[in-house]
Amino acid sequence: MFDVLAAERLKLARHRAAWFLVWGYPIGIVVIALIAIGVDLVRGDPPKPGDVETAAKWASDSAFAWNGPASTFGRYLVAGFTAVAFAGEYGWNTWKLVVPHRARWALMAAKYATVVALIYIALALTALLMVVLGYLGGVATGDAAPEGITIQALLQAHGRGALVMLAPVLLTVAYTSLAAVLTRSTIAALIIAVVIGTAEEVFTKFAPLLALQARDLVLFLYHVLPGHHLMNLSAWIVEGKAASRPFLDKTVVSLPWGTSLAALIAWIGGLTALTVGLFQRQDLN
Amino acid sequence: MSSAAPVLELSSLSKTYGGRRGGVRAVQDVSLSVGAGEVYGFLGPNGAGKSTTIRMLLGLITPTAGHARLWGEDVLKTRAGLRRVGSLVDGGTFYPFMSGRKNLQVLSRTHGRAPADRIDQLLDEVGLGARDGGRKVKGYSTGMRQRLGVAAALLNDPDLVILDEPVNGLDAAGIQEMRALIRRLAAEQGKTVFLSSHLLHEVQQVCDRVGIISKGRIVREATIADLLHQDDVLTVEAAPLERAQAALAERWSATIEGTRLRVSAPRADTPEVVRRLVESGVDVFGVATEQRNLEEVFLSITQPEAAHV
Repeated sequence: MFDVLAAERLKLARHRAAWFLVWGYPIGIVVIALIAIGVDLVRGDPPKPGDVETAAKWASDSAFAWNGPASTFGRYLVAGFTAVAFAGEYGWNTWKLVVPHRARWALMAAKYATVVALIYIALALTALLMVVLGYLGGVATGDAAPEGITIQALLQAHGRGALVMLAPVLLTVAYTSLAAVLTRSTIAALIIAVVIGTAEEVFTKFAPLLALQARDLVLFLYHVLPGHHLMNLSAWIVEGKAASRPFLDKTVVSLPWGTSLAALIAWIGGLTALTVGLFQRQDLN
Repeated sequence: MSSAAPVLELSSLSKTYGGRRGGVRAVQDVSLSVGAGEVYGFLGPNGAGKSTTIRMLLGLITPTAGHARLWGEDVLKTRAGLRRVGSLVDGGTFYPFMSGRKNLQVLSRTHGRAPADRIDQLLDEVGLGARDGGRKVKGYSTGMRQRLGVAAALLNDPDLVILDEPVNGLDAAGIQEMRALIRRLAAEQGKTVFLSSHLLHEVQQVCDRVGIISKGRIVREATIADLLHQDDVLTVEAAPLERAQAALAERWSATIEGTRLRVSAPRADTPEVVRRLVESGVDVFGVATEQRNLEEVFLSITQPEAAHV
């Protein structure tokens, strides 16, 4: 299995899509941070007394990079990379090159593991660069990092960020890979993933409004679809409490973390199993 | 795994696309077997079902009916046989954004690691060398892809090599090299080769035995020699023709065509034919052998109407 993973890494790590959609995070953050530091230096504004951050806030802000893939736009990037990784094999006509030599489930498992691992490596690198550049930028502009920042506090903030990101990334990878296997096309898989991701976001945001028209249906979908569960699990991890969205008729959906975790495991596991099952039976002409 | 089992065996293999009723029957009831060390030619016109059969053999397509077995094991039930197979399908399709060498590295990892020097050795063997091996595949010509495809097929030192149209896109020199390579694989390395082609000359040059597939069915299976000689005709100039026809009727089919008698008999029967004619009081002025080439045999089998044009 390690050999199949190594083969997948060889294929994907230096592909153009990886540069744009994965390694773009650390590269982008370095560019943005350097521009911000440059602007601060040129303007030469001294830090105001009210700007002084606490150590906890500084550590928490340094973990901002982890929010990227959980945002709507970030999930588009994840979907794009997943579409290339899974549907690319159909476009390049290369499944027939590798399928005779390995079990299909193993090839799929290697793709899932590689896609998620590369995204995590890129974000860990981004987060590390943010800490280093945040510190150096502070020194350069005279807005030094507050005292009392510990390794433990940094690890806690970044670990929380990495955990919050896991479910949206896995869900995006799951439905994009299914679209890729079904359509056998990178573009089609990406379009479907973008439409699903956007629809899910719009529905979750506008559910309280939509409930005025069909309350029971909207509430049912709100409980079943993964959008609210992603939000709820994130709230439990970050704030230690449920995400409460009051609907206009005063209904409040507040779920325990276990419910949301189970719902997301069902969605991600179901979609992944469906993808692997379809691929197992698929004719590769 | 039985050592006595044929290397490759297809039994009643069928594939129908688009549902069993009203679907397109790409392959119907194909049965054949190939023994160890044999070079088997799988011959058929474009669209006859060659590639679909090979894809079923490689576990890329699920048969609608029948079985494909490697060393006695069904390819759908166990992958052990497929690990001993190297294949070139669709003229070598590769990751276009990677070099030839990197592509082979990816495959080597997927197979389970070939020795480190194996990749360079194979690149040299197929005529790509270090320079071309380092270039991205998207810049390769069709012939170069084909060569890389052969290198990929041999990467895991397979016992069975399946080559689907291996000379497509190769120039004359490349075709000759490929032919020599295929011969070497069987003669020097003892590998079994299953070669699919629509090029008759190619098959005639390298194969021991051929199976001809047409419209999804195996229509003839024989050695090249048997295939070439089984429809031999002797043209006899003799008089009187009616007596000559009667003298031969007991053993051979003979028809009068103008001033000649056409006798369906192999060249080896010529002395016996002449003897019988002379013993029957027929004057023999000349005997000629009409031996059909593989192309005529192939056309007569796959497109009878075209064979008479």
